[in-house]
Amino acid sequence: MNVSQKFEVMVGNKAVAHVARLVRAKYISAFPITPQTTIVQYIADMVANGEIDAEFVNTEGELSAQASALTAEAAGVRAFTATAGPGLLYMHHPMHATSNGRIPLVMAIMHRGTKGMDPDLSDMMAQRETGWMMLECENGQEILDTGIMAYKVAEDDRVRLPCIFAGDGYILSYTDEPIDIPDQAMVDAFLPPYKSKIPLMPDQGEESRRLLMAQWGVGQDPQKRWRDQQQAMENAREVIKEVNDDFRKAFGRGYGDGLVEEYRTRGAEAVIVAAGTIASTARVAIDRLQADGKKVGLVKLKAFKPFPADDFQRIAPKVRAMGVIDRNISLGTGGWAFSEIRNAIYDVEERPRTLQFHAGLSGKEVRVQDIMKIAENTLKAASGAEASAAAEWV
Amino acid sequence: MMEIRFHGRGGQGAVTGVRVLSTALYYDGKFTLGIPMYGTERRGAPVVSFLRVSEGRINERDLVHEPDMVVVLDPLLGKTVPITEGLKKGGLVLINHPHGGLETGIGGPYKVATVDATKVAMETIGRPITNTAILGAFAKVTGIVTMKSLEEAARHQWSGRIADMNVKAIQRAYEVATEPVDVSGIKAQEVKREDRFSRNVSSWRLYRPVFNDSKCVGCRRCYILCPEVAIVMKENKAVVNYDFCKGCGICFEECPTKAIDWVQETI
Repeated sequence: MNVSQKFEVMVGNKAVAHVARLVRAKYISAFPITPQTTIVQYIADMVANGEIDAEFVNTEGELSAQASALTAEAAGVRAFTATAGPGLLYMHHPMHATSNGRIPLVMAIMHRGTKGMDPDLSDMMAQRETGWMMLECENGQEILDTGIMAYKVAEDDRVRLPCIFAGDGYILSYTDEPIDIPDQAMVDAFLPPYKSKIPLMPDQGEESRRLLMAQWGVGQDPQKRWRDQQQAMENAREVIKEVNDDFRKAFGRGYGDGLVEEYRTRGAEAVIVAAGTIASTARVAIDRLQADGKKVGLVKLKAFKPFPADDFQRIAPKVRAMGVIDRNISLGTGGWAFSEIRNAIYDVEERPRTLQFHAGLSGKEVRVQDIMKIAENTLKAASGAEASAAAEWV
Repeated sequence: MMEIRFHGRGGQGAVTGVRVLSTALYYDGKFTLGIPMYGTERRGAPVVSFLRVSEGRINERDLVHEPDMVVVLDPLLGKTVPITEGLKKGGLVLINHPHGGLETGIGGPYKVATVDATKVAMETIGRPITNTAILGAFAKVTGIVTMKSLEEAARHQWSGRIADMNVKAIQRAYEVATEPVDVSGIKAQEVKREDRFSRNVSSWRLYRPVFNDSKCVGCRRCYILCPEVAIVMKENKAVVNYDFCKGCGICFEECPTKAIDWVQETI
């Protein structure tokens, strides 16, 4: 492979710390929690060494980490925070204030599940309705790149919403791999300086009331904020695609269309859908199956919010079965991605059969052969074999 | 792709060793993934980490189950950890051991190379931290990483005197490592533990609690306070399951009637 001086062998958590440095965050708040802890350590080192010129506050808990970061961002400086698992749950309340205020804060999540310390998406899933954008990453490089892109998306005037970029805790937090660290000058050229849209004084029009609780008695539609925010989420789909294209032009790397990435789907009769590190391992499974002449491809799901419904509507008519792997479950309903995909493709006339798989919850190892089995079951359903409507636990 | 499993003990620097090796291999033009396994291990507990090396990008994010090579940082680990488990036929074991490959107790369809990394570490670093010394031997017996890159990677990880000592350890180990020998004629020594991923923590213990039933009044303090739930109450007396006892000593400290003796473990 091509050796460049910019590359360094580092863990995912250090890649996250480099995001805070490269976007020139001026206020960073965090409370350490496994498996995010070393992010805080790396950032503290970088601040102490003078590599990051920021106010770094080790808060007494995640609620204050979120509350102070959103306030700094509203006041006019780029801010950063990071958490995991129970820490993210503790942030839930002020996270609504961040999105309600249309404050483009960016936060890193290293997944830690809610039934123990091991990783799954249940921490982020519990924040589904907070109005944040959510982007999932499969390796350390994608974490670093997505963190930079997240600021550009969040701060776009058509969006102005907070954004999470996430990776599987432990699996990415602590794995060493060669990662390309972009030049500061290139990041500066890609990401313009941040300006808050929120006036500091309370009497400067509608925008100045964003942070106020009181909406009544101001003579406007009480649902307006919801409609505006939904519109911003819809806009975010296009903005994410644009930013992903811009990033590819500037740095030579991109991630599908920014929302999903199709891997070897040309001529495929069936696809599996996976996110995060499962999608990475799935590439190997797909390579092996295609080497055997099996016509099955992979759709990597990167954006959980906004959900790329149009991408799945485009892919659906081309295949006869979709097997969706969720490292999560909404108890009483089913997988997050599965439910969203079924919802998205309902109006597609020639829609494929859908199969639901749960894998990797509470950190259960997902091996190449597990995914090969899922892909083969999906392929069987594509050729008309009986497929169970019940979810399969792998 | 080459897959390697590292066995060490918490505190021996297996994680840092893998990072330095990973960086060196990267300088030599390889793509690498260094995967540590994190749990509730404390200093001295057996730990594993994995390294994948390839010419191109590596996408596998599962663990390594059938390694091409095993590296063992501690000569005593083989007694309690099945270090050749899953190792491919003809696979290579590099073990920190004072004698040659035929005298390590490792047998089966493998090759074994040794290096007295503890001695090298004591002579060069002054502490029994064997993670860098083993890397010099790794370079010699595998030939997949250059000494120049290893030195460069060590100087990237450490600076000044610490870097010099580690570089010296790598160079010395390169000189003294023994060549791999075939051990297929040797009967493998018995390993007491069967499951690498079980919650059996008995090997962590330096001391064990021994309960004296005649002094136990059944107050349940030890039963409630044991962090590993290793103690159960039977007929109003405390009984310990040693598989789950990590030797923390809380029961010994807390027993109000001094019914527990604190007895040193022996091999």
